[in-house]
Amino acid sequence: MIQISNVSKIYPKKIQALKDISLHIKPGEFVSIVGQSGSGKSTLVKLMIAEERPDSGKIVIGGWDITGIKGQEIPTLRRQLGVIFQDFKLLPKKTVFENVAFAMQVCGFKPKEINKTVDQILALVGLKGKEDRYPHQLSGGEQQRVAIARSLVHKPKLLVGDEPTGNLDSINTREIIDLLKKINNMGTTVVLVTHNREVVNSLKNRVITLDSGYIISDQANGRYLL
Amino acid sequence: MHSILRIFKFAFQGFFRNFWLSLVTITMMLMAVLSVTLLMGMDYIREVTIKGVENKVDVLVEMKLEADREQVESLVNDLDELSEVKVVDIITPEENWQMFLENNKDSEATQVLEVFEEDENPFPYFLAIQAYELDQYPKILEFINQEKYSAFVQSSDADTHEQVINKINDLANFVNKYSWYITGLFVLISIVVIFNTIRMSIYTRQSEITIMKLVGASNWVVRTPFVIESVLYSLAAVLIVMVIIYPLLNFIQPSLNTYFDGIQAVNIAKYFKDNYLQIFGTQFLGLALINMISTSLAVRKYLKV
Repeated sequence: MIQISNVSKIYPKKIQALKDISLHIKPGEFVSIVGQSGSGKSTLVKLMIAEERPDSGKIVIGGWDITGIKGQEIPTLRRQLGVIFQDFKLLPKKTVFENVAFAMQVCGFKPKEINKTVDQILALVGLKGKEDRYPHQLSGGEQQRVAIARSLVHKPKLLVGDEPTGNLDSINTREIIDLLKKINNMGTTVVLVTHNREVVNSLKNRVITLDSGYIISDQANGRYLL
Repeated sequence: MHSILRIFKFAFQGFFRNFWLSLVTITMMLMAVLSVTLLMGMDYIREVTIKGVENKVDVLVEMKLEADREQVESLVNDLDELSEVKVVDIITPEENWQMFLENNKDSEATQVLEVFEEDENPFPYFLAIQAYELDQYPKILEFINQEKYSAFVQSSDADTHEQVINKINDLANFVNKYSWYITGLFVLISIVVIFNTIRMSIYTRQSEITIMKLVGASNWVVRTPFVIESVLYSLAAVLIVMVIIYPLLNFIQPSLNTYFDGIQAVNIAKYFKDNYLQIFGTQFLGLALINMISTSLAVRKYLKV
């Protein structure tokens, strides 16, 4: 699903975020990428969704070499991925339904199909009955559920979470992680970037540990090392 | 088809759901459009006033006492042939007599006419000549001063008229020229205000653009609703100006009538009513164009995600 080979990323002022990273994630895997602040986790996510370009190396997502992806191809790539963020990134002036539907609308789905799928996905994430609410009328956990629903609604093969529980309390964190496990069990590859020790240890899945831009550990049934 | 409808739906949602932001943006545009509209009104008053002054200018040619009707009419016919001449009026000696009496009815000056017999008239023929444009008078005067007319033309007041006409002409050109500069400056200021207003408006919504891009929206899907929204701002601003301007013009029209006191017909309310499509249509198109360009440029900055 994801093949990253010898990737390095240097930001201006010679800040090297990633140094010769290589990793392979198979379809259906649930992988946690852990590390402290500044270890390069978020840069790795940005490279996967083409928000940044690598300075060297090669990135292949779902068989598509996106190393030198062109600007006009980026929307196509992102329509094949699901991404959730720490700050939810919901459109503030759209309702729950419209936020989720937006991901399908930009893909060109027909209204009838959108209505049906959005209803189903909102039921899956436990937001049935809250379709007409705006993001500011929801709790943090609920907002992240909307973000998850939006990332799943177009049925991506890969879901990338960039610190999705970073702004949530422990109860909501547990609920979101359970939801991600459920999604993974349905066949979606999940890449979870986090620095939450309890979450990582409870998952008992593959853990890749980053430190100062290097991969220092890649364990099949790993634990939070740092 | 679905995509087009969606784009319009997004635009209308953005317009109405960001109500306060839309209101502030429209208010700024409203100020700009109102300024330009008022300037257009001032320009109309200036144009009508100058045209009125120009229309009141004519050259009075005094014929010799011995000039008869036939000679006068032959000169009038020759003048009519000139492309510069708009109208030539003959003022007969009888009309001159009557005018003299009317102008001096409260004065003893009328008594001087009593020395003349009934069939005697000390007044000559006069010709009142009006040109199409102020700068055409010198050519007309040159024509009248030809040798062949000297036998029956007394004087054309050429020098005095030429000076006055030149002064009026210079004044008209001066006012016209500077009114264009002022209009240009106002339009420029309005464009800068509108451009920055749009930039501010888009700046406050930059995270929205980023989110849309991260969800997989193409640049076209992100940009177009904002562009349509900016056209809606233009429409709203121009419509509000229309709602404001007509009562305002009706309110100031009596003051204009009093000021010009029948000397000059300045009906600004009628002018705006007769030309509403031209005035507000042009303003809408101009504003929409500025808004669309400004929006495209402002949004482009945040599309690089």
